[in-house]
Amino acid sequence: MNFQAALALGLPLGIGIAAIGSGIGLGLIGQGAMQGIARQPEATGKIQINMIIIAALAEALTIYAFVALLMLNSKIG
Amino acid sequence: MPHDYLARVRNATIGLAAVGAIVTATYASPLAALGLVAGAAWSLVNLALLEVLVVALLTPAASARALPRAGWAIAGMTALLAGGAWLLFHLPPLALVAGFSLPFAVITLRAVSRALLESAAWRALVRSPWRATLAVAAVILAAWWLVPSGSLGQREGGEAHPAAADSARATLSDGAPADSASHEAAVAGETHGDAAPGKSHGAAAGEEEGGAGKFPNLITMIVAANHGAPWAHTLHRIEPILFAFFVGIVVCVIGFIASRNPKMIPSGLQNGAEMLVEALYDFVGNILGPRYARKYFPLLGSLFVYIFAMNLFGILPLMDSPTSNLNVTFALGLTVFVYVQYVGIRSLGIVGFLDHLLGNPRSVTGWVLAPLLLPIHILGELAKPISLSCRLFGNIFGEDMLMVGFAALGVGMLSFKGAPDWLPGIPLHAIFFPLALLTSTLQAFVFTVLATIYILLMLPHEDHGHEEEAHAH
Repeated sequence: MNFQAALALGLPLGIGIAAIGSGIGLGLIGQGAMQGIARQPEATGKIQINMIIIAALAEALTIYAFVALLMLNSKIG
Repeated sequence: MPHDYLARVRNATIGLAAVGAIVTATYASPLAALGLVAGAAWSLVNLALLEVLVVALLTPAASARALPRAGWAIAGMTALLAGGAWLLFHLPPLALVAGFSLPFAVITLRAVSRALLESAAWRALVRSPWRATLAVAAVILAAWWLVPSGSLGQREGGEAHPAAADSARATLSDGAPADSASHEAAVAGETHGDAAPGKSHGAAAGEEEGGAGKFPNLITMIVAANHGAPWAHTLHRIEPILFAFFVGIVVCVIGFIASRNPKMIPSGLQNGAEMLVEALYDFVGNILGPRYARKYFPLLGSLFVYIFAMNLFGILPLMDSPTSNLNVTFALGLTVFVYVQYVGIRSLGIVGFLDHLLGNPRSVTGWVLAPLLLPIHILGELAKPISLSCRLFGNIFGEDMLMVGFAALGVGMLSFKGAPDWLPGIPLHAIFFPLALLTSTLQAFVFTVLATIYILLMLPHEDHGHEEEAHAH
């Protein structure tokens, strides 16, 4: 296959695989946050803020794959 | 006062003739411009002579000098007639006639405007700002529909009008109608004339394939209208910089207005600004500790407000978020990186900074591991601006692409064969406006928090103890 076909196949696949890791990570973050809130409901505010920060960090990994797709997008066809 | 009135008409005619001559010389020929000026001058001289004649004949007093003066005026007008005939042979007649009619146009316009401005309808319109805003919006919308599509409409025929109303409807469908209409009117009116804003809006929105297309913004429209001009090309290349500066100016102006005449018990804009600053300061203080928060808060707070404003600008009509461009986000990331290194060197000293990079070797194990830790730390430091910029860029650009894709989908939904030209698409991308708001806030917040944490990691490590003290209460 030529490189365009390889790119067109590989780039979305890359995002999909990156999303697996991000999904698992975000799920773990959410689980920890929910347990913390369940144990101590009055700390909900602090737990939520930290959860959101860490969630953005975990989500960024998929965004890196997305940025890679955007950079190579013009080379497909 | 007739003299006063005619003098004003004369000045207005001279101004109009000058401007008209420049425009005619640019877009037609210089000879036509000369004809315009000559026609206007001829008409003015004629009017002056006529004034002398009328004053001489109708003033009751000083009738002794009246008749000679009237005679001179009539002779002058005859000579002027001959001169006019000569001019008609040597200059383009259309320009001459146009120049000749300039004073009369001025007189007519003065009369019409006077009648309009003192009418009851105008006064009723101007009394309430909402009515005036609606009137301006109606004028702009009318121009939107009526201005013939030039080079923009031929990109795709049917989509020109539909997406114009589609985007207008999209902006009108979420949020107060008057607010967005007036904002759209204000933005379009304040920065640019309303020459075909909707056509290019529709044209470019219709041709989105999700590749590199975005919603058209003000600068893209100006560039498309002047396709091929070198300054338009430059404008297109520096578009994110212009928007970044514009957002900065807007934020500065709002801050300036909010901090003018500060009251002890704040209200309105000052109250909102104080709430924001206090919340940010508390948050940064929780991370950095009270001693360093005061020092680094100006940068961190400004980062949050600026990035938040830039992200939100993408949702506004005719605007584009500068952070949807990797160059802008990388500039922000680079700024944070350089500043963090500067903070490290400044507060730790060069030796302490190198010690920090080597992982604070204190024992034999530490010294053995130091050459391993140095590249790890350096790579970690270099990864920080890249991750910051890519995260912000990816989120904001991805959100933009999402909305563009759904807007194209909505336009495509109503573009069946035989669809009338004026049928706008369904504004499907309006569903993602709340998501865009969430992402904008969140990404600005995360950028600020990460910058704070990077600064914290660079500061002398014994301050971690201080931070726990701050957490304790």
